[in-house]
Amino acid sequence: MLSFILNQRVVRTDERPGMVLLEYIRGVACLSGTKEACREGECGACTVLVGRPRPDGGVDYRACASCLLPIGDVDGCHIVTVEGLIGEPLTLVQRLIVENNASQCGFCTPGIVLSLTGFCLGSPALSYEEAVNALDGNICRCTGYVAIRNAARALCEKLAKADTDPALRLASMTASGVVPEYFRAIPAQLARLHADPRPAGKDAVLVAGGTDLFVQRPDQLLESDLCFLSDRRDLDYVHVDGDVLRAGGAVTIEEFRRSAVVRRYFPDVARDLLRHSSTILRNKATLTGNIVNASPIGDAAIILLALDARLVIVNAGGARREVPLSKFFLGYKKKNIACGEIVSEIIIPLLPAGSRYHFEKVSNRATLDIAAVNTALRLTTGPDGTITDIRVSAGGVGPVPMLIAGLEKFHGRKPDAATAEALGQAVEAAARPIDDIRGSAAYKKLLLGQLVRAHFASLAAAGAAA
Amino acid sequence: MKNEDMNMHVRGASRFVDDIPVPGCLHAVLFTSPVARGSIRALDISKAAAAPGVVAVYTHRDVPGLNQVGHVLKDQPLLAIDSVEYIGQPIAIVVGDTQRNAQRAVKLITADIEKLEAVFDPREAAAKGLIHGAKRVLVNGDPDAAFAKCKYVAQGWLSSGPQEHFYFETQRALAEPGEHDTIKVHASSQSPGAFHRHIAEVLGIPMHKVELDIRRLGGGFGGKESTAVWMAAPAMAAFILKRPVKLVLDRNEDIATSGKRHAYEYDYKIGLDADGRILAYEIDLFQHAGACADISLAVLGRSFLHVTGSYNVPNIRITAVSCRTNIPPNNAFRGFGVPQGTFSIEAALERAAELMGKDVEAIKRRNLLRDGDVLPYGVKLEGVNAERCWEALDKKVNIAARRAAVAEYNKTHTSTKRGLSVVPVCFGISFAQMALNQATALVNIYVDGSVSVSTGAVEMGQGVNTKIRLVAARTLGAAVDRVRVDTTNTSRIPNASPTSASTGADLNGMATKFACEKLYARLRAFAAKQLEADPATVAIRDGVISVCGKPADLTWEKLAAAAQWARVDMSEHAFYATPNLHYDNQAERGRPFAYYSYGTSLTEVLVDCVRGTYTIEALDVVQDVGESLSAEIDLGQIQGAVVQGIGWATMEQIRYGADGRVLTGVNAYKVPDIKFVPQRFDVTLLKDSSNPYAICNSKAIGEPPFIHGLGAYFAILGALRGVRKDKPAPGLPLTPEKVFMYLHEPV
Repeated sequence: MLSFILNQRVVRTDERPGMVLLEYIRGVACLSGTKEACREGECGACTVLVGRPRPDGGVDYRACASCLLPIGDVDGCHIVTVEGLIGEPLTLVQRLIVENNASQCGFCTPGIVLSLTGFCLGSPALSYEEAVNALDGNICRCTGYVAIRNAARALCEKLAKADTDPALRLASMTASGVVPEYFRAIPAQLARLHADPRPAGKDAVLVAGGTDLFVQRPDQLLESDLCFLSDRRDLDYVHVDGDVLRAGGAVTIEEFRRSAVVRRYFPDVARDLLRHSSTILRNKATLTGNIVNASPIGDAAIILLALDARLVIVNAGGARREVPLSKFFLGYKKKNIACGEIVSEIIIPLLPAGSRYHFEKVSNRATLDIAAVNTALRLTTGPDGTITDIRVSAGGVGPVPMLIAGLEKFHGRKPDAATAEALGQAVEAAARPIDDIRGSAAYKKLLLGQLVRAHFASLAAAGAAA
Repeated sequence: MKNEDMNMHVRGASRFVDDIPVPGCLHAVLFTSPVARGSIRALDISKAAAAPGVVAVYTHRDVPGLNQVGHVLKDQPLLAIDSVEYIGQPIAIVVGDTQRNAQRAVKLITADIEKLEAVFDPREAAAKGLIHGAKRVLVNGDPDAAFAKCKYVAQGWLSSGPQEHFYFETQRALAEPGEHDTIKVHASSQSPGAFHRHIAEVLGIPMHKVELDIRRLGGGFGGKESTAVWMAAPAMAAFILKRPVKLVLDRNEDIATSGKRHAYEYDYKIGLDADGRILAYEIDLFQHAGACADISLAVLGRSFLHVTGSYNVPNIRITAVSCRTNIPPNNAFRGFGVPQGTFSIEAALERAAELMGKDVEAIKRRNLLRDGDVLPYGVKLEGVNAERCWEALDKKVNIAARRAAVAEYNKTHTSTKRGLSVVPVCFGISFAQMALNQATALVNIYVDGSVSVSTGAVEMGQGVNTKIRLVAARTLGAAVDRVRVDTTNTSRIPNASPTSASTGADLNGMATKFACEKLYARLRAFAAKQLEADPATVAIRDGVISVCGKPADLTWEKLAAAAQWARVDMSEHAFYATPNLHYDNQAERGRPFAYYSYGTSLTEVLVDCVRGTYTIEALDVVQDVGESLSAEIDLGQIQGAVVQGIGWATMEQIRYGADGRVLTGVNAYKVPDIKFVPQRFDVTLLKDSSNPYAICNSKAIGEPPFIHGLGAYFAILGALRGVRKDKPAPGLPLTPEKVFMYLHEPV
């Protein structure tokens, strides 16, 4: 039996763990404020807040797409739908949306209310820029967003003096009228929730976020035994250990992006991952899930390939092996992992001295879109300025996320325009794209060459600026 | 005044079709054709019928009445009989206890369909004579003679792509059977009158046994105006089973099987004199209509009447054909053919400017419509605001300075280029289909002073109910909070025209005003009697009754109660038909529109020439809305329409497979998001504009600003043409892929 708090009510349910939360909310709990408009995490109409207890007794609230979120994964959490935001008569976010005329047909509006509320509760900084980032997964077909941005701006102005300390955030947002008073009692109520032990059969499907799994085969997963990587609190870490960064297998992409060590050692990666899906998906999707999913165009795989990441894979018996990411992808959706094994950790070497990293992605829409082509570069130069190591990854141009082989010939060259040109040609020649929904093969091949040249131009520009 | 629904939207309390709780409701799912054109040799529904949870499976044999939902021509069966004409054409309806069970059962249906040759190219269809209706031709002046006098002649071909509505609430309806073989249908529909008729015909019962009720739509944009399949199917199932049945399309089903904005192909030839004056224009329109006529001929007609955009074109030859191809029938979409018509001349002028080596703005400015100009179909214009909008924009942004700044930037930058475009808009308001320019309103005043208004207008976020509420309160003299706009219901309002063509507030607002005027006169006379005053000295405003300007000892509520007690009729029905409209289809001459909405915009973009991506950097719009009924609502309409237009012009792209299948699902069909919209997005409403032809001197606002989205296409194109001109301009939309290939693909 699963237990969670839905708005103000404790729910205990025997529904299958693979039922998505959206279906539970609308179909079982009969709360119709949460809307279904795509079922693929592409629109944000079904956004809810998931409040997960922290070890320190607090609760972390994150906005998530409920259409891709199995209820098994919210066991022990506080779920907030729009019906749970009861203000006097409106909450601050709701009031500002009305004041700024940021709603027309109203179908996307509850999702926007929840995303902005999630921003207030969970965003490290309460800046306008972050508020817009928080809305990167909420599509609105009516307003043209101007009014929504105005509401977001007004919200940040109202909260300019609010306390952003995570420990005091809930209290400060309750005081600001962002969430109702009953939120104050939720941490204690969650602590009292009796969580049943969850025996997962040995055939259980491991859900590492599920934001792609539940697009691909929701019907099958509804019937399956599931186990959830989010239960593995021991794998929820990001830290630096000597000259590597270690990210536990359960870390979500958004947590990774926000972690202090990633911001310190890989600030560009933190920024680039904003191009990965959207906030309401990154709040659930994991780096390991994105890798094991083995999409030939996965942004995380492309970034980590260039960074020479290694995967720690453990089996049910606890046996542990390390696989370089470049040896993990064996063929289209085929990978070097056996049934019962999980990726428990990703090891990313810190950038060696003289190393620089750059990521390029072109998609039809810049945000929340799958790339036509993505590529990353890690370039290391010696004291004399010549190349000592070069790694280029490329997605969308073959059956797997590729690490381009045979680039040793560029060692010893200066990273100048001539090298960029030669490298562009070499990488273009290695590409084997196909015509598909993301673009023609000819486009992707030419584009990859350009993006490789762009790597060099961008690094040069950054170097000049520095 | 704000859209009254927002307070509920933000609390998730607004009720849409799928939010109506109905115990025991069954779910209908359609089995549709997997083949673009073919003969059905056999259909096996037995496995589906025996599947768990399945209550019934229906085919064309089960249709109780007429198996037909063709909107204009009777060419669209509800359920295919022996042939199919597009992938996604409904063949059977599966009804199950849950949507999931019905969906699973649909997969068990097998159809043996002999594939026949299908056509997916509109020009090929036209060449084979596969067209809907007849080819339309309009000639005005003497284009041949005029071309001979032109110094510059530009010609070529163009294309514009389809656009998916992406209304958030997909197509859906809930049907509940009642006593005496009646049925009530809650539908997400813009077309109460027409769908009412379609449902009655399919069920084979008189219209008075069908009640269609519409509270609100989660977006429509035209996509819920003409295709009744998704309302008629659950109605049929509910009618036969005598149980409530709901049909809700999932997103990918909706994208794959519903109509889109029509793609067009164009052949154009434009001629100008040495001063840049347009002397002659020839334009052939090929509309990619799809397998059934649906509403395509009306859309084509509007394109046909708008091919001159905002310009005076003295000599013209227009031809237009609606091409019958084997894709899902396309339908109405905000702008209804006007964006496509306008696109043709804007593109022709861009090409002409290139030939002349001049800034296109000068040419556009020179040819803008003025009072006294005559449109190709014979209307002599008055009250033209094209130049006023242009001047207002110029004053705001200084077009020449902006153009110079762009040129300067491009001189000093190679990996990025800027582009800008000024787009003027002239949009005829009225249904081109004369009969639709009518509306009725029913206004009831209750004894407690509360007022209920019913009209044929459908609320879909555009704020029409708020505008009607305002008109009613203003005209009656009641306080706004005493007035409520009820659902759109065919039992209260018969034969309503669709809420489309931007006319919702114009037509229904006017009918409401007429009804309220009658009630006002009646109540004022009664109040005068009560107060023993001369009726001429009595006024009712904002719920206050006054005599000679002084508040009287009589409240609105007391007046209502007293009037009813004194047997005064407290209910009024009124009718409005737009006056002085006429059009001769043979001669292609007439006055099809009551008035025109104008606007001008400037769009500026930055193109990343390395990656083929672009950013819309700034948008400035001046729009003529007459005397706005609600500036807040009109601003929202403008912003939303412009962004939708930019989506059409840039990233929104549907790909079809070689077999005619829509390949683009929700994960690939991208519409503008919050980060795509320019940081500078400034909208000004044209000052001192009035309009005697619409409600309270306002002007229609729903569609005209959509055309400004073209500015994104032309601004990007301008940047591209600055880089190279050795290949033809790519068609619309200008996706990053097309931009990149234009710049980088070897010739």
